[in-house]
Amino acid sequence: MPARHEPADVVVVGAGMGGAAFCARLSERAPKLRIVCLERGGWVDTAAMPPWRRDWQRATINDWASSPNLRLKAPTPSPSADYPIDDSATPFKPLMWSSVGGSTINWAAHFPRLHPSDFKTRTLDGVGDDWPFDYFDLEPYYDLNDAAMGVSGLAGDPAYPPKPRRAMPPLALGRLGMTAARGFDALGWHWWPVDAAINSVPHQGRAACNYCGPCQQGCVNRAKASVDVTYWPRAIANGVELRPHCIVRQVVIEAGRATAVIYRDADGREVTQPAAAVVVAGNGIGTARLLLASGLASPALGRNLMFHPAAYARGMFKEELDGPVGPIGCALYSHEFYETDERRGFKRGVHLQVTRENIPLMQALRLEPAWGRDAYRLLREEFRHSIAILVLAEDLPEAHNRVTLTDRTEADGLPGVKVEYTLSEHSRRSLAFGLDRAEDVLRAAGAHRVVRLPLAPLTGWHLLSTARMGSDPATSVTDARGRCHAVPNVLVADGSLFPTVGAVNPGSTIGALALKIADDLAKDIA
Amino acid sequence: MTPEFLAAVIDTLLPGEEALPCGTRAGLDPAAYASAHRAAFDAVAAQAGSDERFARADESARTAILNAVERALPDAFRALLVAVLSDYYEAPPVLAALGWRIDPPQPSGHAMPKLDDPTTERLERVGRRAKLWRA
Repeated sequence: MPARHEPADVVVVGAGMGGAAFCARLSERAPKLRIVCLERGGWVDTAAMPPWRRDWQRATINDWASSPNLRLKAPTPSPSADYPIDDSATPFKPLMWSSVGGSTINWAAHFPRLHPSDFKTRTLDGVGDDWPFDYFDLEPYYDLNDAAMGVSGLAGDPAYPPKPRRAMPPLALGRLGMTAARGFDALGWHWWPVDAAINSVPHQGRAACNYCGPCQQGCVNRAKASVDVTYWPRAIANGVELRPHCIVRQVVIEAGRATAVIYRDADGREVTQPAAAVVVAGNGIGTARLLLASGLASPALGRNLMFHPAAYARGMFKEELDGPVGPIGCALYSHEFYETDERRGFKRGVHLQVTRENIPLMQALRLEPAWGRDAYRLLREEFRHSIAILVLAEDLPEAHNRVTLTDRTEADGLPGVKVEYTLSEHSRRSLAFGLDRAEDVLRAAGAHRVVRLPLAPLTGWHLLSTARMGSDPATSVTDARGRCHAVPNVLVADGSLFPTVGAVNPGSTIGALALKIADDLAKDIA
Repeated sequence: MTPEFLAAVIDTLLPGEEALPCGTRAGLDPAAYASAHRAAFDAVAAQAGSDERFARADESARTAILNAVERALPDAFRALLVAVLSDYYEAPPVLAALGWRIDPPQPSGHAMPKLDDPTTERLERVGRRAKLWRA
């Protein structure tokens, strides 16, 4: 007989960006509610993070790899509570982290907002779908999310509507960033220091970034915002009960209503947690997996999976640059080509992001060849002499790109999960255009050689749109308030909701959206 | 597998150049890879004819043999390469030769140069541009 907890008003599944922001906000807006959050992973100990250790580089391909599939093969257990993902049918490998804090534990904390046009792609450009609300409806929540996370950056970017003064000045661009800026300037193109959820100066009781480099191995001094140190202390102080190491296997749905969730707790016991409402925040794969496994009947569930297709151009410079120093994703970006210009042969646009460089081991491993005398020549040419520009394109919704269940039962008790994704011709054209522009910049900045990676497999961070918002139950999973059409007391509060995805990192929008979903639910309950 | 054979494989993968030491001089222990990567080593020996023939071959011939094994057994070869490179690029003599520091990223972090005046002027020019966004 499974153990049975006292009923909760709201059970939230997942303690990452969406779940944390949702819990913190709902607990403020409706303080009498009993809110329980179930998280499959535990708290991550900063003392055990690799940047303290001399063997920190190899963690990037083992227990702190960005891919859960790689972590599951690592010789030492990862702090992330992973499940395998069949990624044999997608060129982009899904990346995520499962613990309290979710993927904010090992994210790059590049924190852009979507553009206003991203909410109206159907109206403006005749592609994709409009969101059920616009940028300016979400703007107050962006501001709240910025305040909660702490943003370094610079107001005044002409690529965006005016934003409030950022809480902290921008992170240092470094020699690498200043060199890239020279290239953008020579071409007369837009560039701007990134908004980063990383402290450039001490802020909110957390230290300033000391530019150590490997943000994706966790932030040992907590300069980088992750929701275990931003939203969760607030939510817990408000009375939210966070239960780590609890793997939810099923949302119990009876007569069109969710009545409970069933989960395996930290001691391996099966537990039933009755709830008046269930909020799922496992992002594009975890949410679809749980809701599909629970039998939620919704034809769009799991479909329209979108990444941000990614490619790199890397320029080699004679001058010495920074190398693997500073927050990996946070130097500067260009939105010169973000908005539609039909002369380019595709609609929507691309995001160009000047990132920091890889650590020596990662550089060495991706060289071609990676061994022998030629490898040394290539490494010497590149190490501390290169700049990489990441090109992110905007995927458009396509129903055949999807998350499905397999016929396996995984060790966590849930069905296996598979990702099926085909890069569209539209996305290919976008990436090719973006690579051409990235190469233009690198050459204008002084690169003597440019190497392209036309499709970067290990960039599947942004797992979006598998439970998208909309008004039509045939083509969307939830309404504008995140309530599932099929089961209205099951809500979603993560990146699965995005009807379209723009071409920028989604963390900022996931947080803002989760805050809005929480406010909407609080109003419904009131 | 003889120690000479194992060392020859490692030092063909990582022959060193200028200040950068070869694999064994960087402190890598060839025997440490033998059991975990037996398939790759066996394939190298088979391709060469024997352990001894590989160890005695010149660098050009050894490179050709490893190229053939990499094509024939890509996964096993890659696994060996990842193991060897992981040790090599964490070895203090290698990091020092690259001009990189031996200490881990924390607690000291790195210094970063401040925004220089030309870049500040460039940024101000961008800030004066008309709006780029649509609604």
